[in-house]
Parts: sequence; C-alpha cells; structure tokens
Amino acid sequence: MRPTAEEQLQGTCRILEEVVAPCVADPFARTILDGLVANLRMLTGALPAVPGFLRHDNATTLRLLATLRDALAPALVARIDQALAAPEPDVADGAAQEERNRLLRELLAAAVCGAGLTPDMHSAIVQHMTERASRVPMRYVPTAPAPPPPQQ
Amino acid sequence: MPARREIPRLPIDPPMSPISASIDAATTAGTDSPIELVVAGLKNLIQHAIPSARDIAFQGLARAAGGLSRENWSLDATWTDIDGAHAHRLMLMRDAAGTLLNTERSREFAVLKALEGSTVVAPLVHWMDPDGRFLGAPSVVMARMPGSCDYMILNGNRALPDRLALARAFIELMANIHALDWRARGLGESLGVPEGSPARVELRHWEAEYRRVQLEPHPELDYVLAWLARTAPPAETIVLVHGDFKPGNALIEDRRITAKLDWETAHLGDPLEDLGWVTNPVRRREHQIPGHWERRQIVAAYRELTGRKVSETALTWWNVFSCWKLAVIQLTAVNEFVAGRYSRVFQTPSWLFRPMFQMMETAP
Repeated sequence: MRPTAEEQLQGTCRILEEVVAPCVADPFARTILDGLVANLRMLTGALPAVPGFLRHDNATTLRLLATLRDALAPALVARIDQALAAPEPDVADGAAQEERNRLLRELLAAAVCGAGLTPDMHSAIVQHMTERASRVPMRYVPTAPAPPPPQQ
Repeated sequence: MPARREIPRLPIDPPMSPISASIDAATTAGTDSPIELVVAGLKNLIQHAIPSARDIAFQGLARAAGGLSRENWSLDATWTDIDGAHAHRLMLMRDAAGTLLNTERSREFAVLKALEGSTVVAPLVHWMDPDGRFLGAPSVVMARMPGSCDYMILNGNRALPDRLALARAFIELMANIHALDWRARGLGESLGVPEGSPARVELRHWEAEYRRVQLEPHPELDYVLAWLARTAPPAETIVLVHGDFKPGNALIEDRRITAKLDWETAHLGDPLEDLGWVTNPVRRREHQIPGHWERRQIVAAYRELTGRKVSETALTWWNVFSCWKLAVIQLTAVNEFVAGRYSRVFQTPSWLFRPMFQMMETAP
C-alpha cells in the first residue's frame, strides 16, 4: 500500500517542518511543534519494530516466569501456569499481542517482588530487564526550546 | 501537622526563553486571550492586596517557552498607592491548565517567606493566589531577580576556574539551605515534619504517585521499589530539602548565584536527598565537571561545609531513589499526555533502568 505508513509519517514530518513550522512565531508553540515532529520521526522507525519486539518480549518473559516459579507464592504460581498454558496469540493480531504482553508483565511485576528469590534469580531478572530496556523501540526524544523571535 | 505535600513539578524543565508578548493592562478590558486574562487577574490580585493601589500598569509581559508543569510570566509593574509610586520587576508562576504535576503554590509561598532575611539567596515573594480566584489557577508573584538560567553552565563555555567556582558556590548554597533553622522560621507548621524515616516518607509519597499514574505494569520499577523499601536508610538529621536542586533552577549573573528558584518541591527531609540528586549519575552532565568536580569532590565539599558524615550506603540509596522518582515523573507525563491534558510526548523511561540496576548491584 503506497504511500506506506512509514512514507506517510515521513511526509507528515517534512510538511510540518517545511510548511508549518516557519509560520509558527510563538516560541512556546514552536517548542511543542518541534517536539511532536521529533516524536513522529522516532515513531517512523519504531512502529515497524513493535510487533517483533512484543513477540520476543512475551517469549522471554514467559521463560523468566518459569525460572522464578519455584520461589513464588502458590496463588501467583497458579496464574503463571495459566499463562504458560495459554496459546500464543496470532502474530498478526497486534492488540492480542499487546494484551498478552500486559498480562505477562503484570505477573512479572508481582514475581520480582517475591521475598524468596535466590541470587541466581535476581541475576536473571536484572539481565532480562536490562536486555529488554535496550530493545524497547519507543524512545523519548528530547528537543531544545525554540529561541525567542528576533527583535523588530 | 499539615498533610504531606502534594506532588512536585517535573524537575526536567528545559531552559526558559521569553515570548515576545507585551501588553498594557489598560488595553485588556473585555478580552479573554490567555495573556489578557493574566493581565486582568494580576491587576485584580494587586488591587486586592493593596486596596489603595491605582493606575496599575504592566509592561513587557512575557511567558517562558520552557516550563513543563506551570506557566512562568515575567513583567514590569507600576502603580501608585498611599505610600507613593511603585515600580517592580516581577515573575508570576501560575499553574498551567493541563499541568504535569500538581504543586501547591502555598508551599512555595511559605518557603520563600521563611527564607527572607536568611543566607539563602531566593526571590522576595509578594503575593499568592492560592485557589486561582484572580488568575484562574493557583499562582505566586515574586520579585524578578537579575541573572539567567543555564542548565549546563558547569559544562558550558566558561573557563574551568569559573565553572569550578560556580560548582563550589552551588554546594555552598545547598549547605546554606540545609543549615536553615526551619523550626525558628515556622516551616515545621507549613511543610510538615516527616514522621519516622524521611526516606520511607518520600518513598510512600512517590509510590502513591506511581500507582496513581501508571497505565500499564512496570516490573522494572516495581523491582527497584522493592529494593528501595528493603534498604531505606535512617536520616542523620532533618533539614529543609530543596527537592530539585540543579543549576537550571538558579539564576547566575557573572560569577554569582543571584537566586535559587523553584521552591515548590521544598520539604523537610533527609539532607542526602538533595545530595543524592546532584550526585545521581544519570544527571552528571548537569552537576559534575569531568575530572574535577565529580561525586568524590562534591561529597568531600559537602562534608567539609556541613560537618555531616554522609554515609555512602545511604547516599547510593538516594541516588537510586532519584532515578526512580525521575521515572515516576516521566510516567506522570505519559499519563497526562494520554489523558489529553499535556502537549509533550514522553515514553516509559527505560533509559533509567540500567543505571538503577547497576547502582543496586554495587551498593556498599
């Protein structure tokens, strides 16, 4: 489908920068606009990576939960077992992948606060979280405030 | 004692730059643009505070382009009252319509009043509109001090000796804030004295904020939170804490700090909270000068100035807490954006996770 979503996002950024931004004199509004364009550019690269990231994160989170299972309270173990037994969502179903990710991370949030975790488990938790942080496609893009307009 | 404070502002505001919006109060009747509402509200506030005031006029009204949680307006005001003619350089801090964090102008007002006549350089505060009756949102009006803000002044273009002198001046300012006799100046009543460990009080406060704003599970932040809860240190003493101590919250003129700004995050707590904020490794570009003014030198200077011991274990806890608090603040921005009340896009602060894990793993 042309223009692709990526082409449309890139084109939107170009138009905002070349057509709209020069007409925005108010530094506050210009600062906001610059931030939005920077975020759109980030999204252009990040969006295609999201489905793959979610599938990978769901798989690695499941593996980590299975590793932690023996140190956790029975009620949490039961929920983890239920998640482990659930079928994987359709790879083309983005919403189902998102929901699966939310559920698994909710279980992980409870699991990592357990009192009975061993040092090896803590190492596995930190390794998982560190690697995940390095793979997250969405990133905050800082932008500098727009300078004041030249004096008349 | 008053309740623990509300949520402070986002301490990651970019530098300010003025909007060129000059307007005279006399021209605003019957209009309702944001600038004109500010003019009308400010005029009414002054009239309320000084009933004999007449011929109130403003020049050079300008709103800063920066500011993530409130509006900052500068202006020159003149009026005449029974004491004669007056001319003041003013700053108005007004809660933004879609503010990032809920701050209490009354806390800022109380702290600035308490600082008057102390060794801490801060603006003289004039008036407060605590409920927004005049200005549409809670506001504080204070003197506009000379100087300018520069977040990166310690790593800017100035010569190294100048930057080192400023770095030393910043830590002396922090020591002065921590040396303030808050009991004698009535801050116990207005800010509230933490009951028990200030670290635990802060953690409870920010955990409540985290739960309020989180839109999805964040196992990383829960993991760090559990570590913080297990290892919270006791305080050596209770002091006035600025809560967002950084070069960007100070005005500099030549080689001199003319005022410490942004007191809405101030509270009574552990002095290591401020020291942990400035030695936080993720913000070293703001607070440190590589090879000359790093964590070791900052802590040594603080010890020398205050005579405090400064436990490395406790300071590391506050470093981790600083990162975690920063993460919660960014989640607040995410929440506000999704709710349609905020115009800047933030993301889950995954860039903070690794530094926190590293500090936890190597904590003394």
